[in-house]
Amino acid sequence: MTSTQTTRPWRHAAGLLTLLAALLAPGAQAGSTLDAVRSRGQLICGVSTGLPGFAATDANGKWQGLDVDICRAVAAAVLGDADKVRYAPLSGSNRFSALQAGEIDLLSHTTTITLARDAAMGLHMTGISYYDAQGFLVPVKSRLRSARQLKDKTVCVQQNSTTVRNLNEYSRLYKLNIKVLLFDQLEAANAAYFAGKCDAFTNDMSQLAVVRTTYAAKPDDHVVLPDVIAKEPLGPMVKRGDEDWTTIVRWVLYGLIEAEEQGITQANVDRLRSSPEPAIQRIAGTGEDLGKMLGLDREWLARAIRATGNYGEIFDRNLGAKSPIGVPRGLNHLWNRGGLHYALPVR
Amino acid sequence: MPITPCATLVARIASAIVLASALLPQVAQAGSMLDTVRARGHLLCGVNTSLLGFSAPDANGRWHGLDVDVCRALAAAVLGDAEKIKFVSLSATQRFSALQSGEVDLLSRNTTITLARDASMGLQMTAIAYYDGQGFMVSAKSKIRSTKQLKDKSVCVQQGSTTIRNLTEYAKTHKLNIKLMAFDRFEDANTTYFSGKCDAYTNDASQLASVRMKFAQNQADHVILPELIAKEPLGPMVRRGDESWTSIVRWVVFGLIEAEELGISQTNIDQLKSHQNPAIQRIVGTGDEDIGKPLGLEREWMARAIRATGNYGEIFERNLGPKTLLGLPRGMNNLWNKGGLHYALPMR
Repeated sequence: MTSTQTTRPWRHAAGLLTLLAALLAPGAQAGSTLDAVRSRGQLICGVSTGLPGFAATDANGKWQGLDVDICRAVAAAVLGDADKVRYAPLSGSNRFSALQAGEIDLLSHTTTITLARDAAMGLHMTGISYYDAQGFLVPVKSRLRSARQLKDKTVCVQQNSTTVRNLNEYSRLYKLNIKVLLFDQLEAANAAYFAGKCDAFTNDMSQLAVVRTTYAAKPDDHVVLPDVIAKEPLGPMVKRGDEDWTTIVRWVLYGLIEAEEQGITQANVDRLRSSPEPAIQRIAGTGEDLGKMLGLDREWLARAIRATGNYGEIFDRNLGAKSPIGVPRGLNHLWNRGGLHYALPVR
Repeated sequence: MPITPCATLVARIASAIVLASALLPQVAQAGSMLDTVRARGHLLCGVNTSLLGFSAPDANGRWHGLDVDVCRALAAAVLGDAEKIKFVSLSATQRFSALQSGEVDLLSRNTTITLARDASMGLQMTAIAYYDGQGFMVSAKSKIRSTKQLKDKSVCVQQGSTTIRNLTEYAKTHKLNIKLMAFDRFEDANTTYFSGKCDAYTNDASQLASVRMKFAQNQADHVILPELIAKEPLGPMVRRGDESWTSIVRWVVFGLIEAEELGISQTNIDQLKSHQNPAIQRIVGTGDEDIGKPLGLEREWMARAIRATGNYGEIFERNLGPKTLLGLPRGMNNLWNKGGLHYALPMR
């Protein structure tokens, strides 16, 4: 301030106006979620109430799954410790309000990214963590072998999800007159299906595989129909208003995918610090500092990989060949191996 | 502090500021770019100075190309008229400052989306419009048939791009000792290469095809090497500070891709108004659900865009595909269920 004659209260007022200007400037929101997470010392991550492969607690009460690993990777990148996460289990219907209200920093909850969710709920997509699609599970003895045979049948489905709506549209389009049995909790929908209260259960294909292997008395008594009725790309969402945070989450996800493409794993990330290749150096935390551009330190992505492994390792451990669920990589392979995961350039 | 009139005033200002700062971050940004564009009556679209297939003016001064069509689709969606655009041609070095300073509403200029550009320049990515990769063009008589043979060779490259950096890193990793000849202007890099002053020319593979078509006296005299040294996903970028605008641009791009997947084209869109499939109804703008509303647009937003430019496949075929001079294959730019990578997020 140049004028020394300014009376004290006015100086306060001027100071407050400067503060206001700073708050309103484009950079005003910079790092606010990051700062909040850091000062709290913990990331609050909204996850499913219990979906093996994506987010569920093991026998020791430890959260496991692909969605959980994304939380862990973000925590490792921003807090330096993958264990500094508080998991908030959320149902399909309260997940968005929890994010809108700021109760969680990140929603990593098998959530389909759609136009309405990205555009009109005060939320924003970050990237795609799993390319899924909606299908049906039926008892083998029902003799149902195609979704078109569901005429006048009862289908169990979880409330307040894109799933219900795809089911209704499919039923209307093909005049199937499907009777919809709605449940707020995924577990209740599963239980009703296995208790024989509905002819079919509909959900994302990955979840059908999980439900079948985890909850069926005999998994072989149930079959996933080959028909897919909708694309269901799943990904972490954040609250609007902090584009820096959106960007951090997006690039942690791309970083895990790029690490797989570059052959950087949990086991070799430390050894690769001395790689002569700039593309590897950037990810391993030597060479050019990309962390700085995200408001993080140089080691952000190396720590994430050390904690969770690359995307392929996360997939295999939770859903793929090394898990009891055994979902094939399919669309979730890298772009140059027949799938759709294509990390934007980490440079 | 004793309560003085001045102090009371300060307290009032302070509480007003607290209130304002609580309200303004959302209110201030909501729809502001959209409002600005609508009040102005035209879209300011930053494009390349001249790159055949992406953005180039024809003999009558009319702009054509994939990047240009993204601008047109957006103008049709937000202004109801694909012609209400002022194209601002920008060099590689000017493009980001033009977007940062607000000279353009959108940068649709064969720009690779990278971490640095998305994170630290006050800008934000929207979606990928074209999956490209960096390659090399050499003279056929040079006998160079692989990038590994570029040892000690000179390579022409445009300044201020990710291209130069990928080249430097590739040379370093493979110990090629490449001599760089960097040019600020794309045209100068081209001219120098075609005058034989450098052994190779590097750029995105799509641009190499474009340059060869436009400048080579005889196409067969130049060969595009098979190896790609970097992923180069190109897409429109916007300025930070208005996430609603980011969403609008993103969903126009996805809408064009989804229209192709659903078989909605420039020619059949009006016939499809009575189609029973809700997915088609949403895009055509009929049916129960209005997906323009979440974006702050009218029900017909996407239908207008498709009527103006066609779906993504039609845009590709018209500007870059086998029937054009460039003759680029769809490859990675095909739909996800046809062997490519374009996957529109669900329009619902």
